[in-house]
Amino acid sequence: MKTVSGLRPPTLAMIGLLAMTTGVIAQQEIVSHPLELSFPELDFQPPDGAALRHELSTGTVAYVAEDHALPLVNIAILIRSGEYTAPAMLKPGVASLAGSQMRAGGAASLSSSELDEELDFLAAQIRTGIGSTRGSANMNCLAKDLDRCLDRFFEILRQPRYDQERIDLAKSQQLQRMEQRNDDTGGIERREWSRLLYGDAHFSTHATTEAELDAITRQDLLAFHAYAVHPGNFIFAISGDVQTEEILGKIEARLSDWPGAEAPGDVPKPGVEPQPGLYLVHKEDVNQGRVSIGHLSTVISNPDRFALQIMNNILGGGGFTSRILSRVRSDEGLAYSAGSAFGLGTHYDGSFRAFFQSRSAAVARATSIVIDEIGRIRTEKVSDEELANAKASFIDTFSRNFASAEQIAGLFANLELQGRDIGLVSTYRDDMAAVTADDVLRVAQEYLHPDRLVILAVGNVDDMLAGDLDNPEFSLEAMASGGSVTRIALPDPMTMEYAGR
Amino acid sequence: MRRIVMILALLLCVAPGALAQQVKPIVHLLDNGMTVLLVPRTGDPNISAGWIAKVGSVNEHPGITGVAHLFEHMMFKGTETIGTIDAAADRRVIEQLDRLRAEIRKHEQELLRQQRVGEIDDWRDREHRSQAHQDLLEEFDSALGEQRGLIIKDDFDRIYTGEGGSGMNAGTDYDFTVYFINVPANKLELWFWMESDRLMNPVFREFYSERDVVHEERRLRTDSTPTGLLDEQFEATFWESSPYSWPVVGWPSDLYGLTREEALEFFDVNYAPNNISAALVGGFDPEEAIALAERYFGRIPRGEREPEPVRTWEVKQQGEKRMIGYADTSPQVRIRYHGVADGHVDEPALLVLGQLLSGRTGRLFKSLVEEQGIATSVSGGQNGRRWDGYFEIQGTAKQGHTPEEVESAIYAELERLKTEPVPDRELQKVKNQNAAAEFRRLQSSFGLLLQLLIAEGYRGWETINTTGPKLQAVSAEDIQRVANTYFEPEARAVAIYYRSQGSEPEDPRLAGLDDQERQQINMVRQQLAQAAPDQLDQMRQQLAQTTAMAAQVPEENQDMFQLMLELISERIEELEGEQE
Repeated sequence: MKTVSGLRPPTLAMIGLLAMTTGVIAQQEIVSHPLELSFPELDFQPPDGAALRHELSTGTVAYVAEDHALPLVNIAILIRSGEYTAPAMLKPGVASLAGSQMRAGGAASLSSSELDEELDFLAAQIRTGIGSTRGSANMNCLAKDLDRCLDRFFEILRQPRYDQERIDLAKSQQLQRMEQRNDDTGGIERREWSRLLYGDAHFSTHATTEAELDAITRQDLLAFHAYAVHPGNFIFAISGDVQTEEILGKIEARLSDWPGAEAPGDVPKPGVEPQPGLYLVHKEDVNQGRVSIGHLSTVISNPDRFALQIMNNILGGGGFTSRILSRVRSDEGLAYSAGSAFGLGTHYDGSFRAFFQSRSAAVARATSIVIDEIGRIRTEKVSDEELANAKASFIDTFSRNFASAEQIAGLFANLELQGRDIGLVSTYRDDMAAVTADDVLRVAQEYLHPDRLVILAVGNVDDMLAGDLDNPEFSLEAMASGGSVTRIALPDPMTMEYAGR
Repeated sequence: MRRIVMILALLLCVAPGALAQQVKPIVHLLDNGMTVLLVPRTGDPNISAGWIAKVGSVNEHPGITGVAHLFEHMMFKGTETIGTIDAAADRRVIEQLDRLRAEIRKHEQELLRQQRVGEIDDWRDREHRSQAHQDLLEEFDSALGEQRGLIIKDDFDRIYTGEGGSGMNAGTDYDFTVYFINVPANKLELWFWMESDRLMNPVFREFYSERDVVHEERRLRTDSTPTGLLDEQFEATFWESSPYSWPVVGWPSDLYGLTREEALEFFDVNYAPNNISAALVGGFDPEEAIALAERYFGRIPRGEREPEPVRTWEVKQQGEKRMIGYADTSPQVRIRYHGVADGHVDEPALLVLGQLLSGRTGRLFKSLVEEQGIATSVSGGQNGRRWDGYFEIQGTAKQGHTPEEVESAIYAELERLKTEPVPDRELQKVKNQNAAAEFRRLQSSFGLLLQLLIAEGYRGWETINTTGPKLQAVSAEDIQRVANTYFEPEARAVAIYYRSQGSEPEDPRLAGLDDQERQQINMVRQQLAQAAPDQLDQMRQQLAQTTAMAAQVPEENQDMFQLMLELISERIEELEGEQE
C-alpha cells in the first residue's frame, strides 16, 4: 500500500482521548441531520503510474507495486490476443480452449494431473484464459515458493502440453454448457442482445457450435498458442511481497531467450446497424420477463465520456438514487432489479442498455416508464442535487480503485493494454468535477436515441403481451419503434440454427 | 443487486489454516451489550464498515417466514429524520395504511377460504373481489399517494452516495443478517450517524410496496431459475422439524400476509444492541472510533427481552429420503447427510474431508470425471450452520450417463474413506492450502470485515483464529472416524434432477430412446412446429442433406436419427397440405 498521511482529523482524535480517560464523550451533542456533519479533507493522491512502470530489456512492460504486509506474490499477465485474432488456422472456439487448456493441460515436464498435484501441494494458484479481445495468465503464491512457482508458471505459458484427455474433458464440459444455452432467461437475454446490436457475423456474437467444437484438434491449440502467446503480447502487473529490481530480474531471465512474434491485427468492428423495434423471445415456464432496451453507445476514448458516465449514473446507473430504479422499483414495486448501463467500448462502440426484470403482466408498464425516463433526461436539465450526487459517487469513491497493490498494478497495466494514457488517473477527478448540467443534457441529446431503441423481452410472450388488467393502457407492441415486432425462436443450442430464417 | 439473500459459498472461503497470521482486532464492548471490533490499517484511504444482527430465517416461525429478509429491506427505508419531509404526517399515513391493510386482510381471508374449498381458482383475481373490498383497495391506494408526497425517495442511499459511500448492501441468511458499506476514510462519523439512527429510530414506510419487491426477488431467484423450486423443495424435504426447512425469502403465502406490526415486534427483540456486533477495517484512528461508538451506538437502549435460542431441534431421521424432479437442467444428483453444527468437535475433520473430495485434485473429480468419465462436475463439503449442519455432495452426469451412476460412484468414494486411511501427502496438500488461505483471506479489508462479522454471527470473531489450528490438527484417523459416523444411508436425503421432457403425451416412437436423445427429438419437434409454408423448399433440402448423413450417425443413435427423418417428412407433408 502507498501510505497516505493527514487522514486523522485532529479535533476528533482529541475527543477520542478524552473518552478514554473520562468517558464523558457520550453526552456530546449529535447533530440532527447527517448533512450537518462536517468532515476533514481527504488527502488522497493516486499513485504515480510512471514510477511503477518498467520496461524490460526485451521491450516488455511491467508494473510493480510492492506490498510487504503479507508473504504473498501476485503476477498477472495481460495478453494482447483473443477470439478476434484471425490467422488462417483459427477456427471458432480455438482461442478460448487454447487459453484455458494452457493451465489445465499440463506443461512440458509434467502431465496435467502431475501439474495439478504439484500446484495444489504448493497451494499456488495459476489461472489462464483467453477471451474475446484479451487473454490473461495469473499466478498467486507464497513468497517462500516464488522461484519454484515462477518456473512452473513460465513452463505453462511457454510449453503447454495440451494433454488430449483434458481437451476431451473440456469439450464434454463445454457441450454440457451448450445444452443449457436455452435454460436460463438471463443467458438468452445476453446472447440475443449482442446479436441484435452487433449482428451474427461479428466475432463477438459467435456461439461455438457442437460441430465446430468437435473439429478442434490438439494441433489447432498448439498452433494458436505459438501465434498468440509470446512476450511481444504481454504486459505484466506484479504486486505483493517482492523487491522490484529482484522480481524484474527473475522475469527478464525467463523471457530473455523467448522472442516475441507477430503482433495481432486490429479488432474487427461490427459491420451492421442495429434495427430498432420490439423483439420477443418466448420461454413458456417463467413468470418473469427480462427486458433490455437500448442501442449502440460510443468508445472509451470519447472526450464526452465523463459527462456520459454522469448522465447514465443519474438515469439508471447509480442504483437507488438513479431515476429508473427509483421509479420502477421504489415507486411502483414493479421490479427488484432495474437500471441502465452506458458501456464504453475499447475497440468499437459499446452498448447503452436499460434493463429490468418484472412479473410478466407488468413488463409493458415498466417498459413504458423506462422509455419515459430516457426521453426525460434528453429534455429536462438534471437537478443540482442529482448532479452533485452523481459526481460524488465517482469522485469520492475514486480512492477505492487503489485499495490494494494488486489493484494498483492491474489498473495501470490495463490502461496500457487499452492504449490509454496512464496519466489519466491524476486528472480524473477534475474532469468529473467539471461536468455541468448543460453537458449532461447535451450528451443525453447526442447519445441517447429514443427513435432507435431496440427492445428485447425474454419470458412468457403471451403473458407479457396480454399486460396487466388493472392498467390496460400499456401495450408492449405499441412501444416498438416503427411498429416493428419480431419473434425470435430459440435456436437449437448445439447448432445455433434459428428456425424460420 | 442489492439486498441479497446471502450465498453460503462465502463462508467456505473463511476456512483458515495454521501458519496463523492472527487477526487481533481491538474489541470494545458497549454498556448496552453491543460489541465493536476495530482493525485499523494506517494510511488506507477507505474504511469498510458493517454490523451483523444475530438473527435470520431460523428465528422465524410458520406464518412469518420471510420476515427477517423483508426486514432487511425495510432497514433502508429511512428513519424519523431520513426519508421524509414531515415525520408526524408520515406516521399518521402509515397508521392509516395499517388499519386499511387489516380491513383488506379480512376480505382476503374470505377469498382464501373460497379458494381453499375450491369455489374460486385464484384469490388474487380482481373479479372475485366484493365492492367493499375494492373500495378499501382504492382507499389504500389514495393513502399511498398521499404518503408519496411526504417521502424523500431512497434518502438513506442518497445521503451515503452523495458522501462517497460505495458498495452499500446487506444480506440475510438462515442464521444472520449483515449490513455493510465502504466509506472514504474522512467520513467515519457519517457511518456512525447513519447506522445508529436506523437502529434507534427506524420507520418502516413503504412496507407494503416493499413486500411486492420481495415477491419479485422471489420470482427472480426461485421461481424463474431452472432448479430454484426444486432446490427449495429439497431443503424442505431434508429438514423435518428444524426451522431451516423454509426458505430465507419466505413462503409466498406468508409474504402476502406479513404485517408491519409483526416486523416491528421482530425488530424490537432481534435488532437490540445486545444482539448486534459492529466492525470497522481500514484507515481510521481506533481511539476516535471508540469515542464515536460510545457516542452514537452507546445511546441505543438494551433490548427489553433477550433473544431466545432456537428451540426446535431436528428430529433424528429414520430412513433415507429420495426426491425426483424434472427441470430445464443437466441431469444431476444431490446427496446430503445430516451432520454437525458450526463449532462441533467433528467439524474440522468434516471440513478437511470435504476438501479431500473436492477441487481439481480432489478424489471425486479424479475418479468420476477423469477416470470413469461419468460426470462433468462433482464436489462436496461440510456446511455447519449455527444450530445444525449437513454434509452435501453434488454431481452432474456426463452426456450418456445417468445421475444414478454418479450417485453410486460417489458412495464408492465415501466407502473408501471409511475403510482406508488417507495417505499423508494427500492430507498435507489440503493443510498447505489451508495455511496459504490464512494469508489470502487478509488481502482485502472488505473481505476481512465480512469474515469478522459472520464469525460473530456464529460463535464469535475469535473463531477466525482458532479454526485454522484445528484444521491443521486433523489426522487420517479422524477422517476415517467421521466418515464412518456420518455417512449412513438412513441419515441422508437424495435429490435427482432429470432434464424435463415437456408436457406433451409421449410418442410411442420415443420408447427406447435415452434422455439426451429424447431431448434432441423434442428440439427438432419445436423447430418443426415453427416452420412456415414458405420454408418448404429449405426443408426439403434439409431432409435430403440429413438423409445423406445417415452413415455417419453412430449405431446407438440410429433409432433416434430415423425418427428425426420421419418427423421432418411428416411436417413437410403437413405444410404441403396447408399450402394447397
